[in-house]
Amino acid sequence: MRTSAKKLVTAVSASIALTAAGHAAAEIQIGIAGPMTGPVAQYGDMQFSGARMAIEQINANGGVMGEELVAVEYDDVCDPKQAVSVANKLVNDGVRFVVGHLCSSSTQPASDIYEDEGILMVTPASTSPEITERGYELVFRTIGLDSMQGPVAGNYLASLNPKRVAIIHDKQQYGEGIATAVRDTLKDKGVEIAMFEGITAGSKDFSSLVTKLKQADVDYVYYGGYHPELGLILRQARQADLDTTFMGPEGVGNKGINTIAGEAAEGLLVTLPPAFDQKAANQELIQAFEAKGEDPSGPFVLTSYTAVQLLAKGIEKAESTDPFQVAEALRSGSFETPIGKVEYDKTGDMKSFEFVVYEWHSDGSKTPVN
Amino acid sequence: MQDLLYFSQQLINGLTIGSAYALIAIGYTMVYGIIGMINFAHGEIYMIGAYTALIAITGLATLGIAWLPVILIVALVCAMIVSSAMGWAVERVAYRPVRGRHRLIPLISAIGMSIFLQNYVHLAQGSRNIGFPALIDGGFQFGPEGAFEMSLSYMQITVFVTTLVCMAVLSLFISRSRTGRACRAVSQDLGMANLLGIDTNRIISATFVIGAALAAVAGLLLGMYYGSIDPLFGFIAGLKAFTAAVLGGIGSIPGAMLGGLILGVSESMTSGYLSGEYKDVVSFGLLILILLFKPTGLLGKPEVEKI
Repeated sequence: MRTSAKKLVTAVSASIALTAAGHAAAEIQIGIAGPMTGPVAQYGDMQFSGARMAIEQINANGGVMGEELVAVEYDDVCDPKQAVSVANKLVNDGVRFVVGHLCSSSTQPASDIYEDEGILMVTPASTSPEITERGYELVFRTIGLDSMQGPVAGNYLASLNPKRVAIIHDKQQYGEGIATAVRDTLKDKGVEIAMFEGITAGSKDFSSLVTKLKQADVDYVYYGGYHPELGLILRQARQADLDTTFMGPEGVGNKGINTIAGEAAEGLLVTLPPAFDQKAANQELIQAFEAKGEDPSGPFVLTSYTAVQLLAKGIEKAESTDPFQVAEALRSGSFETPIGKVEYDKTGDMKSFEFVVYEWHSDGSKTPVN
Repeated sequence: MQDLLYFSQQLINGLTIGSAYALIAIGYTMVYGIIGMINFAHGEIYMIGAYTALIAITGLATLGIAWLPVILIVALVCAMIVSSAMGWAVERVAYRPVRGRHRLIPLISAIGMSIFLQNYVHLAQGSRNIGFPALIDGGFQFGPEGAFEMSLSYMQITVFVTTLVCMAVLSLFISRSRTGRACRAVSQDLGMANLLGIDTNRIISATFVIGAALAAVAGLLLGMYYGSIDPLFGFIAGLKAFTAAVLGGIGSIPGAMLGGLILGVSESMTSGYLSGEYKDVVSFGLLILILLFKPTGLLGKPEVEKI
């Protein structure tokens, strides 16, 4: 009796081990790392909904090389410290492909870990040039760079013939980087920079800053950073009767700014990736998002969708799930995706990516300028 | 003339924010004055006050009530009740059981409470910035057309006047009422007050409730003034108010008021004339200077060894 019970236990545990192993072999884990909570969770929603949709559709079409993709989701709160622990957790979980992170300041420290541990990362949203400047093999993105976005904003502002422009940033990697690029472009065009100043991300009182902007008598204010701060600046500026036009990068272009700034968000200028959801070729995909009750119009929805798609295509092209071989496949190939044709250069940046200037409205809609 | 207007504008900005700091600082200073501990969860009580006010305002709006005084009063009362209850509960749960132990223990308990409340609001209300409706709009304009105009918004006036009223009521309460007198007695000597028949537990609870109610007022005012709230905004405000309390002399109520105003004005002057990046450097630098040369703060009394 005793021996048979022992045998039974052994048999059961062996079969469990077998099913576990069988299960693991039939699926490829795709890590999705971004802010599910925290001040910029809006952007995280875009990332997660885009990536989930791609995984769902790829699985519905038979997966990748017959294997199913499985999403493993991680919350980094857009906090560099949290991003590092997420990256380590991902390593421990044995995930080898990551879509993320979102904030540049999170992507940068996390990518160090991924590169060391042989994990392939595609960020759908981080635009800081430094991320791909370090010669890493396993870092890719499906978005443009600040060094592309800054000049677009700078050139647009310069074309309006302003006398004086003020530039504000949030002292973070993304915000200050892009603000610097705008400043340099404007300087080259001979526009006077009345002030170039940092604020503290997370602070709420901008009355002194607004007073200063009023005193400086500028035609335009450029803000490098995210929407929670710019929303408050806009609102407090309108309350103090400062009616200068503000401009910001895609970090401010989401509906979150409307809930904070309300009417004051009307007329804000924003540089954004082109509206991929308006492209005729993407309409079927857009309907799929709408059928699920999700909003596909955010700037990072389709870039995240594309990130997953590229990983899948890379794996198929390399006929391997080895991150290094997949990276090689991505570099050498040319892929048709919802964000257009994607080809990579050696650094992991796309060979071309476009930014467009939009005017933002107080109901959360946007219209392209010119 | 232009420079004077600019200066006055920055002064107004500073006084507005400073008076709100003072309201929060009262909570720190009263608790310290009575039981000698720093209630690090106080910033969270302020944040909860702001959230309660916003929920009340949204609730009234869905009921279709649009008359401003009603909205403000209901929001204020709700915020004060919820925050006071929180303040009372925090003291009962986290501080009373460890009272009289080594002074580090209540401090750690306070930090734990702060983290707990912050995360509770994260879970209950979501971690995003929520816009606060601008209920009080408009203001006065001074200065020439076409050049720099100084603006004094009704909101700024509201913040300042409400703070003054609260401070006046508090001062009267402390100096005239029976409970106020008991508060002063307890802060002078807890053990002796106990021997003389004062219910010290009740007085300590009352201190927490008063501090929390004032923090709730600040929560509503600053929520409206800034325009958005998030679960973390109590932390920074708490830190600033704590600085104000130490600056003015922790334990002293007029000190908290003075400290708050000085801190607010120095912040706005720094960002107005130097750069916003140095705002916190200057205010905390000021704190270090005062602590070096006058360790008890501006209005604090030197501690007398009790025999």
